[in-house]
Amino acid sequence: MKNKCELLAPAGDLERLKIALKYGADAVYIGGPLLSLRANAKNFTFEDIKEATTYAHNLNKKVYVTVNIVIHNEELKYIDNYLKELENCKVDAIIASDPAIIRRALKNTNIQVHLSTQASTLNIETVKFWKNLGVSRIVLARECTKEEIQEILNNVDIEIETFIHGAMCAGYSGRCVMSNFLTNRDANRGGCSQICRWDFDLLSESKKIIKGDKPFTFCSKDLSMLKYIPDMIDMGITSFKIEGRMRSIYYIATTVSVYRKVIDAYYNGEYKYDEKLEQILRRCANRDSVPQFFNNVYDNSCSYYNGRVEISNQDFLGIVLDYDEKNNIATIEQRNYFKVGDKIEIFGPNHDIINYKINKIFDEDNQLIDIVNHPKQVVKLIIKDKIDKDDMLRIKYD
Amino acid sequence: MKKIITIPSSFEEIDKSLNIIDGFIIGIKNLSININLEINDLSILDKYKTKEIFVAINKNLNNCELDLVRNILIELNNYNIKGVIFYDIGLLNIFNNLNLNYELVWSQEHFTTNYDTINFWNDMGAKYTYLSSDITIDEVNDISKNTNSKLMLNLFGYLPMFASKRHIVKNYLNNFSLKDDSKINYIEKEENCYPIIDNEIGTICYSSHILNGIDEYLKVNVDYVVLNSFNIDINLFIEIIKLFKTVNEDNVLEYKEKIDSCLNTDKGFLNKSTIYKVKNNEK
Repeated sequence: MKNKCELLAPAGDLERLKIALKYGADAVYIGGPLLSLRANAKNFTFEDIKEATTYAHNLNKKVYVTVNIVIHNEELKYIDNYLKELENCKVDAIIASDPAIIRRALKNTNIQVHLSTQASTLNIETVKFWKNLGVSRIVLARECTKEEIQEILNNVDIEIETFIHGAMCAGYSGRCVMSNFLTNRDANRGGCSQICRWDFDLLSESKKIIKGDKPFTFCSKDLSMLKYIPDMIDMGITSFKIEGRMRSIYYIATTVSVYRKVIDAYYNGEYKYDEKLEQILRRCANRDSVPQFFNNVYDNSCSYYNGRVEISNQDFLGIVLDYDEKNNIATIEQRNYFKVGDKIEIFGPNHDIINYKINKIFDEDNQLIDIVNHPKQVVKLIIKDKIDKDDMLRIKYD
Repeated sequence: MKKIITIPSSFEEIDKSLNIIDGFIIGIKNLSININLEINDLSILDKYKTKEIFVAINKNLNNCELDLVRNILIELNNYNIKGVIFYDIGLLNIFNNLNLNYELVWSQEHFTTNYDTINFWNDMGAKYTYLSSDITIDEVNDISKNTNSKLMLNLFGYLPMFASKRHIVKNYLNNFSLKDDSKINYIEKEENCYPIIDNEIGTICYSSHILNGIDEYLKVNVDYVVLNSFNIDINLFIEIIKLFKTVNEDNVLEYKEKIDSCLNTDKGFLNKSTIYKVKNNEK
């Protein structure tokens, strides 16, 4: 077996970056102030990136920066300085697809270059091309099957990264510009308005409506490779990537901790498939997920005909701000409504899931209260099991 | 002098337009995307050897297709073609290990948006570029000033806006036990109708409006102007080629109106930049 695979998590800001690393990610990928495909996200300033790399490197972990937009003439003038700034910030790699960026990074900096999934790399010849150019890692297209990934691994000696969890594009990355046409927002420059999740009327050649029980949509279910992690480790994939730089700390903590647990269990020889973990992931995203192209199945079982209505997740109850070990008092910041009598779970990177029934809740003035229903309300619970700052409370799954 | 090439929909159309076009783009069965006419038998190319023929092998390639692509690239060397239009970089890597006497056209639809990247692929062996339809005429002309690559640009026809390996129409029909044998379907939103095709290699979807850039023809600095006949009546399309062939400063507005009056047209992104950062544009 090769080196232990990397668990790579998304982070939309410093808070999420620290949570991702704390919950077990080996590396995180972030967007900087320019040229990133989440143009409307908060993204990191150079100061943030410096803090992020210092924080990560102190933990012997890595930070990659996405520089993955499709460049237009007007952006060319920014690239050299931007790459130098990223190098000064000591980022471990950039993730790019446009050779205008890749060639400059390879020529003018010492930053490693990972080829973004935007390049839709599916085959051995393409991987060979980029390897010969000096790219150190390829993020494969999400359309790759298990056999195709294995063939690439068998034929080219280069780091391979694949997605293991998160939202899927309906089309080939880079080949969908529906957002440009329907909303004038540029999909390949960070403005994707997710037209694939819209409903449409489907018409026949003679323009008669073809109507099913639900409206026509391009929408795909999410990706979940939980069941296949042992296979993917055995294949020799270098890095397992979780999608979602816009996602919440709860999503990041949940997905990272679940995959961390499975990866470590497999390496330790203790792996056993656990349906409960699948359930945790499913509830966290509130969307159905399947292995998609890995098994070469992309029929209607991968399609999602649920309209645009997605109920926001109410499972995340609070985050631990502090734990007084001497008095067993946990200080909690509320994220969703909870009350006396609720059965909850507490999870964190340093312990197994703790089942807990809420018997008493104290407010900040140590007065007993029955419900916690104000956003970010700070309360105290008496919890005998040792927990830690940044542990999270969620509703108990049956 | 700009050349006019077409993406024809039939051999009948090629034959009818042969005297007024400089060349055309044709596909290979199951290896092409957004190309209307695909062939299995390359020998038919001999019939048109006086024209500039570009063969599009522009799907995303899987490992299992690499040998087939290599063989076709070698076989194409026996025909008098001008170039191969490619999307997947694997094709370029194969091409560069063969000694072939035609050109490569870098055609990564929505990535061909700046001169530096075009020059990169030029250095890598692709001396022609099929420009993105997502950029403005000003950007096209700026590219033209800064590259030696031969440039192609769509100025008429439906524009590709989506390609997927998934069978998105078939999946919907199957999921709800619906029957429909249409070769082309449409999806409709807010009175706009977008052609969508689900075939052997996946699903492609086009713009709702037909690009009519005839008024930019005289101003744009490219080597090839591409006119696409997809979903357009053959006789009307031949008339449109003739308009492009004879357009000048005196008749350009008349010609533009002539096309606009009989088709659902717009100017795509030729005069309209896409939004990059929504928040900045909302200020």
